[in-house]
Amino acid sequence: MILEIDSIELYFSSKRILNGVYLKAETGKVTGILGSNGSGKSCLMNIIFGSLQPKYKLIRIDNEPILKPLYTINCVGFLPQHALTPNNIKVKTVFKLFRLDWLEFITVFESFSLFKNSKINNLSGGERRVLETYLILKSKNEIIILDEPFSHIAPLYIEKFKRLIAIEKQTKAIIITDHYFRDVIDTSDELYLLKNGCTKLINNLEELEDYKYLSIGSLD
Amino acid sequence: MMQRFEAILLFYRPLFIWSFAVNVLIIIVNPHIFTTVITKLLLTIFVWYLINETNRERKLIFYKNLGISTFKLFSAIFLIDIFITIGFLLIMQEFI
Repeated sequence: MILEIDSIELYFSSKRILNGVYLKAETGKVTGILGSNGSGKSCLMNIIFGSLQPKYKLIRIDNEPILKPLYTINCVGFLPQHALTPNNIKVKTVFKLFRLDWLEFITVFESFSLFKNSKINNLSGGERRVLETYLILKSKNEIIILDEPFSHIAPLYIEKFKRLIAIEKQTKAIIITDHYFRDVIDTSDELYLLKNGCTKLINNLEELEDYKYLSIGSLD
Repeated sequence: MMQRFEAILLFYRPLFIWSFAVNVLIIIVNPHIFTTVITKLLLTIFVWYLINETNRERKLIFYKNLGISTFKLFSAIFLIDIFITIGFLLIMQEFI
């Protein structure tokens, strides 16, 4: 499956946030998006998912234009920047709703085995983030959008998620963004920089310094 | 399909107690089905507006991940609520 996002224009009042965005994600690849704070990364992810309506957008799947929000055709999972799950719901209920296997989860994240009957709001912020990232990453969708999956979680879990992403990408198109640029670079097969409302395909990592996303020498 | 219905019930659960309080008020003030349906419809629209105008709108992404749009979610809770309310009214009218 090939997902293409084109001609996106987003304004908040008269302020232009995105214009001329092009992005391609396909099954078997992780597409990374880098950008400074306020560059519109999260807006772009919300637009792809369908929870934010821009002035213009063109979304195609395998060259077919998709006019409905992607979430309504049940092909996309989206991990937003903020908490995803409702507070007063049990962990086991969330797994049931997402049709995921609890045992499979605790074989990867052993320390969570105590939480099966806990409510979501009894988990710490980081634990909740791990759980939510896992739910979306393993959900039965062909397109996965992850907004800051590496933020607020322990380095050990970051490594586990990198391995999980490498497995899941075999059957899914994954779009990822985070300020932990090294992790995004490690994980991604294709990389875009979002700057001045436009995406630029990064072919050489030094371009990140040229476009002043990173300071000179950051990649050494 | 069952997962979606269960998710909708989870969304409705914290609203149930408020809805029940409104049902009691309706019984006291004007226990007619037509006015009850209109009242509940207006209350559902009010909750929708309240969620849209606050950052609680973010919470709806959980339901969207399960394929439930905002319109579907609120339509479903309106129907569930009306079903419960009318049942409650019919039972109470036996005692009035």
